[in-house]
Amino acid sequence: MSAPTAVTSTHRPSSAVRRPASALARNRSRTGMVLTAPAFALVALLLGIPIMQAVYYSLTNWDGLTATWVGPSTYASELRNPIFWRVLENNGLLLLAVPVAIFVPLGIAAVLHTRVFGWRFFRSVYFLPTAVSWVVIGMVSARFFAQDGILNHLFAAVGLGAIRTDFLSGERTALLAVGVTFVWSMIGTNTIIFLTGLATIDPALHEAARCDGAGSLQVFWHITFPQLKRFVQFAFVMTVISAFTALFSLIFVMTGGGPGYGTTTLEFFVYQTAFAKGEFGTGALLGVFLFVIMTAVGLAQLKLFRSDD
Amino acid sequence: MTHTVPVRVQTPQATSRARRPLPWRRLTLFAGMIVVGVVMLYPFWFMIDTSFKTQAQYQSGHGHSLHSWSVLSTALPIGRQLFNSMLVCVASIAIIVAVSATAGFAFAKLRYRGATPVFLTILAAMLIPMQSIIIPAYVNIARLNLLDTYVGAVLVYAALGTPFATFLMTAYFRGLPDELVEAAIVDGLGYGQVFLRIAVPLAVPAIVTVTVLQFIQIWDDLLIGLLFLQNPDDRTITVGLGALSAGRVTDIPVLMAGSLLSALPAVVVYLVFQRHLISGLTAGIGK
Repeated sequence: MSAPTAVTSTHRPSSAVRRPASALARNRSRTGMVLTAPAFALVALLLGIPIMQAVYYSLTNWDGLTATWVGPSTYASELRNPIFWRVLENNGLLLLAVPVAIFVPLGIAAVLHTRVFGWRFFRSVYFLPTAVSWVVIGMVSARFFAQDGILNHLFAAVGLGAIRTDFLSGERTALLAVGVTFVWSMIGTNTIIFLTGLATIDPALHEAARCDGAGSLQVFWHITFPQLKRFVQFAFVMTVISAFTALFSLIFVMTGGGPGYGTTTLEFFVYQTAFAKGEFGTGALLGVFLFVIMTAVGLAQLKLFRSDD
Repeated sequence: MTHTVPVRVQTPQATSRARRPLPWRRLTLFAGMIVVGVVMLYPFWFMIDTSFKTQAQYQSGHGHSLHSWSVLSTALPIGRQLFNSMLVCVASIAIIVAVSATAGFAFAKLRYRGATPVFLTILAAMLIPMQSIIIPAYVNIARLNLLDTYVGAVLVYAALGTPFATFLMTAYFRGLPDELVEAAIVDGLGYGQVFLRIAVPLAVPAIVTVTVLQFIQIWDDLLIGLLFLQNPDDRTITVGLGALSAGRVTDIPVLMAGSLLSALPAVVVYLVFQRHLISGLTAGIGK
């Protein structure tokens, strides 16, 4: 790259940079394009083209080698597939875990924010699962919920031995086990998000409310919570995205999607359909469905954030 | 909100701590945090405790042994797989950092005509779930004869990590004053030199954040490795464990020993770079 030798130094720097047609500006543009090209190429070739391929192949009958064109009727026939609706139902039920994964960390963050003794240590401990893979978490969780697992021992210890059951062998209880594990894993991340949010709030506001005689719960609901709105929305969207797209490993290890289709979510169904049944076209179609749902969530997030500004 | 001022009798010591809850309340909250701590740490204790048992001891609940640690390497090629994990992580992260730092610098400081659509395209790719592209990506990589090679897996990891990394780097470089670049240009440096000599050294915190986030992401991933590295000797440790647990291996202590070993590097990275991880996770919230 050749270094420009003369620059009109009388201009303010910003106007010098903005001035078109000069050799410097051309050099800047060219460098800019060259520097963004690798990132763009990587994303376009390995994400952009495959997502377009997924849309195309979703309209075909495809076994991974040869694709025969079918057309939009592939979508119509998938919508008539009862298993597809069962899978979506599982996704819907898992979404019920999202409020829990928001409000429990919100409470924890509120307590940590009062600088309770050892709060730094607690923060590190709660955040730790963020570093651990879903594979490892799922392996421990599967033992936890098993017939001879710790949970059943706990039930027996408090006189609830009658509840004793192999959670992973019932369709609904297995989904519950996946949901509980999911909430457990999200606690750390969401607590950290809310702690970051709490740190941005001016403590003077709290003092004012306190002087006005508000109790600490009142202060939290009327003063703190509204100011945390942006952070709650962010955590909410992130948790929803995780519920749809981050649980593959957990399900793979804990239940393999079963029993039956009891814990098969859309993302897991994509994998099963393509790589266990060899129906690549239908798998691609399910992937497109997932993409559409995630795009809707992403756009909703953008809208939420914009309405705030 | 009511505006009645409560009459408070304040002892001298209490005035400075007037905002603080009463001692018994602080104690209750502390106890609550301990309970949450136990819930969060229990799985780690379970892994450690179980790994020092034989399967029989695990089932009976009594006794300890080093057996599972000594047979671990026969259950899965653990050393090899740890090496694979490291290799895949380092290569993928090197690509991600290289392309996102250059692109972030250009988007923030070298705004050219058409930069915005390119930037938005890359950001939009954040919305693409891995599962939506995995089938075409798998077939493409297979056609290129890159299945069961590190290259294939690394490329897919790198592509998946690039959008968010580019977003982070761009945001970081936008925070640096334009004058920094312009002054260096006036001094006769080229844009490439400005990037290497001025921008990159200043961006070290952002680069560390990207590295830590991606390390944990890639180290912990199952799906990509499961599909793109099917040969047991090529697998990463997380994939090796995932495959082992799905293969109905009933020796739980061995699985737990492997789990501990696989979790260790990511936990160490977490403990050392916690601050960077937090700043990366909360970067999406904006100002």
